[in-house]
Amino acid sequence: MREISKLVLVLSLICGISAAALTIVRVSLEERIDMQNDFYVRGPALEQLFQKPANDVLKNKIAFAIDDITYPIFYMTDGDMITGLAIEAPGRGGYAGDIIIMMGIDTEAEKIIGLEIIQHSETPGVGSKVEKVSFRKQWCNLGISESFELRTHGGIIDAISGATYSSNAVVDGTNRVKSIINDHLDEIESLIQANLD
Amino acid sequence: MDLLLLAIGAIFVNNILLAQYLGNCPFCGVSKKLSTSVGMGLAVIFVATLASIFTWFAYHYILKPYNMEFIRTLAFILIIAALVQFVEIFLKKQSKTLFNALGIYLPLITTNCAVMGITLLNIKYEFNFIEVIVFSAASAAGFTIAIILFAGLRERLIIAPVPKAMQGTAIALVTAGIMSMAFLGFTGMVK
Amino acid sequence: MSYKKVLLHGLWQDLPPFRLVLGLCPALAVTASIENGLGMGLAATFVLIFSNMLISMLRNIIPDQVRIACFIVLIATLVVIVEMVMKAYFFPLSQQLGIYIPLIVVNCIILGRAEAFASRNPVLLSMADGLSIGIGFTLSLSLVGSIREILGAGTWFGIPLFGSNFEPFEFMIKAPGAFLCLGILLGLMNAYSRKRGESIIQT
Repeated sequence: MREISKLVLVLSLICGISAAALTIVRVSLEERIDMQNDFYVRGPALEQLFQKPANDVLKNKIAFAIDDITYPIFYMTDGDMITGLAIEAPGRGGYAGDIIIMMGIDTEAEKIIGLEIIQHSETPGVGSKVEKVSFRKQWCNLGISESFELRTHGGIIDAISGATYSSNAVVDGTNRVKSIINDHLDEIESLIQANLD
Repeated sequence: MDLLLLAIGAIFVNNILLAQYLGNCPFCGVSKKLSTSVGMGLAVIFVATLASIFTWFAYHYILKPYNMEFIRTLAFILIIAALVQFVEIFLKKQSKTLFNALGIYLPLITTNCAVMGITLLNIKYEFNFIEVIVFSAASAAGFTIAIILFAGLRERLIIAPVPKAMQGTAIALVTAGIMSMAFLGFTGMVK
Repeated sequence: MSYKKVLLHGLWQDLPPFRLVLGLCPALAVTASIENGLGMGLAATFVLIFSNMLISMLRNIIPDQVRIACFIVLIATLVVIVEMVMKAYFFPLSQQLGIYIPLIVVNCIILGRAEAFASRNPVLLSMADGLSIGIGFTLSLSLVGSIREILGAGTWFGIPLFGSNFEPFEFMIKAPGAFLCLGILLGLMNAYSRKRGESIIQT
């Protein structure tokens, strides 16, 4: 009996110490990891959308939660005016999981600046073609009240041939962004104002 | 249809041993005889499928809700180690024949990167539950096919006049390279 | 055993993964470029040194029956720390190494050294062993990485070496190239050992 209690004691002691050590490391590095993640994963997309160095945009970040999903939102300002938003959203229904997209919106002209793909695990050479400029530029300069649908569903977006799932997932992501803008723009703007002050 | 493609892709195109390099230690270690490699292969199929199911549940229902994804490595290896231990005890009690066939390979599996690798890939590709079962069983089957074919080749190699310096692991690795080249031929079969 | 002997044995006598045929997966998987090989080698070295240290410190406390479980917990903890540190400071490298960083947990070299050396020897000696094996492993991975990157992509650390007319031998950065490169290096090493009259250990 003493043997067994010793075994259990030592094992749980080691596990406890490990857990404590990991928590400490996690807490002290968490912020840096998030920053790195933003810089390398979202940075290039933000540079494309806003034509500004990533470091200028990355700090202008808020998180907007709705229906259990948190959407990271980056913003550009001119004085007190919000001039542009970049909203990241998951596009559901990809061939291999979600496709994370980021859509840039010019809030003054109420139209789309551009669309970037942040992350996907689609098949290389097929679904991965959603990254192509020729596909993504179909959204450029569209108004934010337009509806995005594939041509096969009566819309104006040309799907990538052979990759309907992937194309659909991107469309889904862009529609999420659109509905956030249409339904919650005021809340987002007040969040940003609070962040600015 | 998609599941079938997933399975074929995992067995042939992205063969876990020859294209993703996972599980090479047992690949070189226990492939000297056909019979041992069959035992090892079956044990890997069994444990990898079970481990994938358990780790998938642990990840999606425990780690993720509590924002603990960062300790998945620790959690997964503990689940695999505990599972292997449990399977060993269970087999010993319930099925003597199965235990005799797989028993000695089970402890080796804890540190088999193929099993750990499959559980990590399940998370990376964001599979759902059914895909997890298909993918892990198919990947492990790919491992088994590769190790059995390889053992057959190695049994032949014994009687081949190999240069002294290349004998043993060296020629085994070169053989594996040629096999891997053959498997590369499957690329493009599944999109 | 003297420190000098322990410090040197990982560099030739027990050089992983060639003489000590363990840890083949990372040696094959992440050596498509020298940068990845070097990064993986250093990450493994860090884990080796500290896992050897911790296990040697605790060797009298850990009961024999659960030692493997304890070793695995300690090693896994260190690997998770490495994972986080790499994400925080070497993000692009950590993305490239991908699942092969968590897979250091099941790298047989680390558990092998814990079992064969650290659980029987004092703390400093165990750390020296970890350092030696780790450096040996890093050098091997860098060597394989260099060969594969130079031949397969015509670059070294990403710097083009041969000018634009060079048609890279792409086969080398694919899977078969990894196996062939490692096998041929092992053969050359064996030939050299035989010439010096050393006995070859692996079978």
